[in-house]
Amino acid sequence: MNTWLRDHPWQADGLLAAVLLAFSAPQLAAGTAGVGGRAGYIAVGVLLCAIVIPRRRYPVAAFAVAAAVGAAQVAWGVQPGAAQPPVFALQPNDADLAILILLYTLAAYRPRPVSLTGLAVCLAGAAVAIARWSPAQHAYAGGAIFGAAAGLGGVTLTAWVLGDSVAYRYRRARFSALEERAARLEAERDAQARVAAAAERARELQDRRARAVDESAARLRRIERDLHDGAQVRLAALAMTLGEIKENLAQAGDDRTLALARAAHQNAKDTLTELRDLARGIHPPVLDRGLGPALGILAATSALPVTVTADLAERPSPAIEAMAYFCAAELLANAAKHSGAGQVAVGLREQDHGLLMSVTDDGPGGARLVPGGGLAGLLERVQTVDGRLEVDSPPGGPTTVTVELPRHA
Amino acid sequence: MTTAPTPAPAPAPERLRIVIAEDAAIMRDGLTQTLTRRGHDVVAAVADGEALRQAVDQHRPDVAIIDVRMPPTHTDEGLRAAQAIHRDHPDVGVLVFSQYIETQTAAELFATAPGGVGYLLKDRVADVSDFIDAITRVAQGGTVLDPEVVRQLLSAGRRASTLAALTPREREVLSLIAQGRSNAAIAAALFISPKVVEKHVANIFGKLGLIPDDNDNRRVIAALRYLES
Repeated sequence: MNTWLRDHPWQADGLLAAVLLAFSAPQLAAGTAGVGGRAGYIAVGVLLCAIVIPRRRYPVAAFAVAAAVGAAQVAWGVQPGAAQPPVFALQPNDADLAILILLYTLAAYRPRPVSLTGLAVCLAGAAVAIARWSPAQHAYAGGAIFGAAAGLGGVTLTAWVLGDSVAYRYRRARFSALEERAARLEAERDAQARVAAAAERARELQDRRARAVDESAARLRRIERDLHDGAQVRLAALAMTLGEIKENLAQAGDDRTLALARAAHQNAKDTLTELRDLARGIHPPVLDRGLGPALGILAATSALPVTVTADLAERPSPAIEAMAYFCAAELLANAAKHSGAGQVAVGLREQDHGLLMSVTDDGPGGARLVPGGGLAGLLERVQTVDGRLEVDSPPGGPTTVTVELPRHA
Repeated sequence: MTTAPTPAPAPAPERLRIVIAEDAAIMRDGLTQTLTRRGHDVVAAVADGEALRQAVDQHRPDVAIIDVRMPPTHTDEGLRAAQAIHRDHPDVGVLVFSQYIETQTAAELFATAPGGVGYLLKDRVADVSDFIDAITRVAQGGTVLDPEVVRQLLSAGRRASTLAALTPREREVLSLIAQGRSNAAIAAALFISPKVVEKHVANIFGKLGLIPDDNDNRRVIAALRYLES
């Protein structure tokens, strides 16, 4: 009900005007003047009722009209001393209640200075009215005048206070809504700050991770180079010397020492082979020449026929190249061991801001990512640089493993 | 060489003039001493590709022994230098040796230098006589290819259908052909008569669709190119 009254000001106030008109109707109808005066009298009453309708839309204008009517009534509707008969149309009547309603509206919907002005106007009007009215009617003694003044003033004040209290409640509600909104905004701002801090932290961690990945790749490359320039060379020189010793002993005919030298020589050569495999596992030197040539070598040494289609305009970072290489190596080894495939195709191309590598075999399919499996290990590896790995291996094949990597870690 | 029994070290028929390019001092010095002890003349031992080219220009050696990985990039300077030497001085043999054997490097090397060229795993220096034998063959315009290259190509399973047509014995023979061995050397290595080797060779080239040729080098290149294609 309240909501309806609030949301439909025109209808609600139209209803109020109707009630006021109904309330005033008996008095308006009972007017005793001539036909012209009576019509004016009714018209003023209806005007007063009607002015209530737009009270919420135009509180000040509505009040001003009603106050002007009231002032006119006080001026011409009451004639003290009866030297001249009052204007009948401007006789005060019950519809003057509209003035109070509009004062209430003014207090409820407009700032205090405005409503206080309205209150002052009303109180002044009431005082003037009483002052002029009483002698004109010869109706009241001194005490009665005081009573009328107090009554009219009290009613006026009451209307203002009622309106003002509504305004106060409204202001308080609005204030608390504002407070609530401020609190919400503050909370939102805090949340945004937290999100920004988290994003900043994520960026920082990403940078740090990229550095770690790059450093790790560089370190592996350095280890391989150190092995190549250090241990491998020394061992090869040692094996060469042992080989010479062996041949000298063979010529000298010292069979017992020759057997020892031969064993040592073989040992050195086996160690060289092991060391070479180890170094190549740490960082395949061919990677220094680029991913395309490296994949070509992988393909050439695979147990299956492999075709490589590499199309990269610029080289990714060394860490990413190494990751792609080891993925390809593992996938080719898998294909050779498990897929039952007759041939494999490796594709490498650019995609958005990274590279896309696909390894497709024509085996019967059924490959799956199982926890702890080789593919899961590869997935973990590429995930360290936000890469992706997908397996598409329907029954009957073909099997395609797709690896997406960024250009930089 | 590991696939063949070590032949009795024959005294070098000639004193070879050799340039060594190897950035690791210990290997450079070791090779120099060993080759010198075997009666060869190491006219220069350098540590990078640029110095190598200057040394070859200056000394015109019989053979240059070149490490693939050298400064400044440590990738394939040796290979590039070998190709340049072969272009500028076709009479200088180049033996490229490397810690790793890559079929692609072999293919590149043999594509530009059909003769007087060798590609060996660095480990092979351990078998001194075989190594010096390889150097001698390269110096004389022959071809030396590391067995590892052949092993990789054969195990790669590429051209599987064609290679599958070869018998195990023919594969052995092909492997030795690819290393640049003559029919006589193959016969000695496999303890079979040269006549039988000739028959195997004819069969191999027949099966691979290649025309037999008396020239050892051409046979190797044909085989390598076929396998690499």
